[in-house]
Amino acid sequence: MAGRKRFNYKTREGLQGYLFILPWIIGFLVFTAGPLLFSFAASFTNYNITSQMDFIGLKNYEKLFADDQLFWTSLYNTLYFVVFSVPITTVGAIVLSALLNRDIPGMRFFRTVYYLPAVLSGVGVYLLWMQLLEPGTGLVNTVLAWFGIAGPNWLFDPDWAKPALIFMKLWSVGGGMLLYLASMQGISKSLYEAAEIDGANAWQQFIRITVPMITPVIFFDVVTSLIGGFQIFQEAYVMSNGEGGPVNSLLFYNLYMWKKAFEAFDMGYAMAMSWILFIIVFVLTIINLKLAPKWVHYEGGGK
Amino acid sequence: MVKSAAEKHSHFDTIQGRRRALNIINWILLAAGSLLVLSPLWWMVITSVKTMQEVMTYPPTFWPESWNWSNYAKTWEAAPFDLYTINTLTITILVVIGNVFVNSFIAYGFAKVPFKGRNALFAIVLSTMMIPGFVTLIPQYVLFAKLQWLNTYYPLVVPAFFGSAFNIFLLRQFYMTIPDELIEAAKMEGASHFWIWWKIGLPLTKPALATVAIFSFNGAWNDFLGPLLYVNDESLYTLQLGLQVFKGQMSTQWNYLMAGSLLVLLPVIVLFFFFQKYFIQGINLQSGGK
Amino acid sequence: MRHLKWLSVLFIAVLVLSGCNGFTKGDSAKKDKQAEGEDGKVVLDFWTFWGSEIRRPVVEKIVEDFNKSQDKIEVKHTFVPWGDIWTKELASIAAGSPPDVVINDINATALRGEKKQAENLSKYLEKDDISGNFYEELWNATLYEGDSYGIPFNTDTRVLFYNKDAFKEAGLDPEQPPKTWDELWEFAEKLDVKNGDKYDRMGFYPLFGAGTDVWMLNADKVNFIDENDEVKINTPEKLDTLKWLKSWHDKYGDNNINSWQSQMESQQGNPFFSGDLGMLVQQPTFFTQIRDYAPDLNFGVALLPEKEPGNGNTSWGGGFVAEIPYGAKHPDESWEFIKYLTDKEAQEYWAVKNFDNVANKEAAETAAESDEFSEDGKMVYGLAVEAMPHTMLTPTPVVAPDFPTLINPEFDNVYLGKKTPEQALEDAEKKVQKLIDQNK
Repeated sequence: MAGRKRFNYKTREGLQGYLFILPWIIGFLVFTAGPLLFSFAASFTNYNITSQMDFIGLKNYEKLFADDQLFWTSLYNTLYFVVFSVPITTVGAIVLSALLNRDIPGMRFFRTVYYLPAVLSGVGVYLLWMQLLEPGTGLVNTVLAWFGIAGPNWLFDPDWAKPALIFMKLWSVGGGMLLYLASMQGISKSLYEAAEIDGANAWQQFIRITVPMITPVIFFDVVTSLIGGFQIFQEAYVMSNGEGGPVNSLLFYNLYMWKKAFEAFDMGYAMAMSWILFIIVFVLTIINLKLAPKWVHYEGGGK
Repeated sequence: MVKSAAEKHSHFDTIQGRRRALNIINWILLAAGSLLVLSPLWWMVITSVKTMQEVMTYPPTFWPESWNWSNYAKTWEAAPFDLYTINTLTITILVVIGNVFVNSFIAYGFAKVPFKGRNALFAIVLSTMMIPGFVTLIPQYVLFAKLQWLNTYYPLVVPAFFGSAFNIFLLRQFYMTIPDELIEAAKMEGASHFWIWWKIGLPLTKPALATVAIFSFNGAWNDFLGPLLYVNDESLYTLQLGLQVFKGQMSTQWNYLMAGSLLVLLPVIVLFFFFQKYFIQGINLQSGGK
Repeated sequence: MRHLKWLSVLFIAVLVLSGCNGFTKGDSAKKDKQAEGEDGKVVLDFWTFWGSEIRRPVVEKIVEDFNKSQDKIEVKHTFVPWGDIWTKELASIAAGSPPDVVINDINATALRGEKKQAENLSKYLEKDDISGNFYEELWNATLYEGDSYGIPFNTDTRVLFYNKDAFKEAGLDPEQPPKTWDELWEFAEKLDVKNGDKYDRMGFYPLFGAGTDVWMLNADKVNFIDENDEVKINTPEKLDTLKWLKSWHDKYGDNNINSWQSQMESQQGNPFFSGDLGMLVQQPTFFTQIRDYAPDLNFGVALLPEKEPGNGNTSWGGGFVAEIPYGAKHPDESWEFIKYLTDKEAQEYWAVKNFDNVANKEAAETAAESDEFSEDGKMVYGLAVEAMPHTMLTPTPVVAPDFPTLINPEFDNVYLGKKTPEQALEDAEKKVQKLIDQNK
């Protein structure tokens, strides 16, 4: 009897669950699933958007791995960017939000200032940065020169072009900062007070209390910036005039894909490329999800 | 062992002293950082008031020869920006409303209601973020064309009412931190999950909702590709599309472009400045003991 | 839930304000459905990227004149941002609801013809053959397998601007610009003003304002992939050119070049305006920037110097065509409009008002005499018209549209000193050949 009742409740609860995610399911089926399936199917064709779509089997995929002369270059550039930008911007955002999560004068102003760059977006900003990174008279190298540092040629030096982009990303960590700040609101004040009484210094409090408590958001930030990092496109497109930078040092995976799709109109090939990227990112995300229970701390005890 | 009153007191004093010192260091760090963060904006401001002749001067000047604030008026007149503001606001407000409520609802389901296939479905949610937008751009456009939605705001607004992976994931993370006991207790009293979401979930995740609201506002306000693709009549254009008139193929009217960008930025800054208290409201309770 | 109330008030306010604009069908969609406007006229959607305060009035005046000139067609002009306009066009073609006339890049016209993105215009050309109105090189770029897929609208070329005052200062005759590559070098040496490792004035650097490919065309008049789809990269002439360009790079050094180049690429502050650069290759429309931003500059213009006497002042250009996207609803009416757009009257108006090079030969030649131009303006425009017959295009090869991504890094490597010119050209040739083979 009791067992059946429990089962009933579980079923009812399950139904409620589907009800909760119903909007997403509808949206997915109506708006997303079709285009996704289409791009998957078209990756096995020579689809060129306007006039041809013949089945060619795995040819696109074979060509990518065996023959493509820029596939590995673009993948390397993208990995480079992800490997450096994800940790740097994550740590940057956490440190910044910790500094901004105090009750001292001018905090509202500071928060607004640091969030500002995240609001600025689009082509104008990238053009602005091209100005700032201009090697001879740009603001960045001018400031560096005050400290006796001879700044590099940034976007013109194949070794410095990607770091320049990462540098620019660091400028706009305001978005991540906001997430952490919101998450820090949930940490109970008593935890810090207890630690203080025990003589823990600010650093120890940060490491022992703040960081563990915000791990759910760190996890979120790492997963989404990883996904986003692999998709870096517009920055490179604008800042290299669509060319890919010196010695293709800014030819990121998505920029290369864009060129195949909208310059060579080899859309089927571009779609195959996108599914390769999907698999890479998907595997990394699954690894992330599997590793999460080891370090992500949910107060709710959720798994 | 019990400490003497005097010992306790001095311990308390050191804590106070340490806090004060820390706050000062903290303030100095933030102030120095602000200068770095603001310098690119300074560049925007001075460019916006220069004459084009001065903008084109080599080497560039760090202090304008003359401050032409009239550039702002000229910028605003260069295109029907009043209309664009209303258009952008319409889209943005609808997108924000959709994003805040619908995603919160969906995220609660993924975080707190056990059901079959939840993890698999959640993996699909995440997956939708991993496919680069431009390979689905064409099929999606064709889809909206079939729905007869071209040249309307429906493609920009309606999807916001069916959840976005980024926001679902974000809010889910916040719901995960709500203790299960709280929800169990409510269930014991016969509350449905819907009731729990409305009465417990929403209020407890206010800071996260505020974050989603700000992100969505920002995203919709600055969206360029969406309006570009789906809107045909110039009377339906948005601010970001309007700004493009200053950017030609060969030359750019930098002063107007920067003035326009700053004007477009302004409402977002003001909104953020005042909106902060909604998600940082807990802060006074937490830090800085009296 | 106080905020909820507040939000809904705001929400309603916005909807009322906007009058639900954007949620009912817009104007053009309505017209599209009815296929005609009020008085039975056919309404054409015309997309351009000309939204600036200078260009927009000009194109809209032409449209207005056309609308008044007859009573069957009404053209509606829409500004769509530069670059993105073609992504949008492509999407609309795929969805079967394209606009009627679009301005698009001339160099990729044949490619768009091959991909069936643009309508074949042959049947109209059989009736009214207007092909002779345009510069031959431009017309040829619109052809795929002998059929035209777009009508040339405007164009450009590359000419040499030089600073006359700097010439005088350096003891050069300001009326005698350099005629050959050797003279370029010689003059540049004289114009250089060194200041330690840096330059207070740079004489000339060939890659400011022109690419490696432009100088290679200047030397041998052969595209990297020729009209028979053969790769012509690793040739003695191109090797010579690359070595010559490398010697310029070595002369000034990375730091000086990068610093100045980025300034010009970011489309702000040009050292030529301030007299810090003696000579510069640019499009003729660069004159409008000098006119507006450096009105006191005493400058001259000349054809691109030739490699050696008798080799020819070959230059490089591009431009735009007016095309009918594939599947557009009113091709006959669109053709009428395109004819008007590329005919002498509209072309001349465009040329004079915008100081832009036009594709219609007669219009270009008449414009050069226009009283609306200043003395300097006449000088530059006249030279541009003179340069047009020497100007080559680089049509996107259908067999390997994205080949520049493979060769540009090779050139970069040469300038950075990481590869010899010989090695770079050999590698570039192999890579492009491989791409062509793959695409077969």
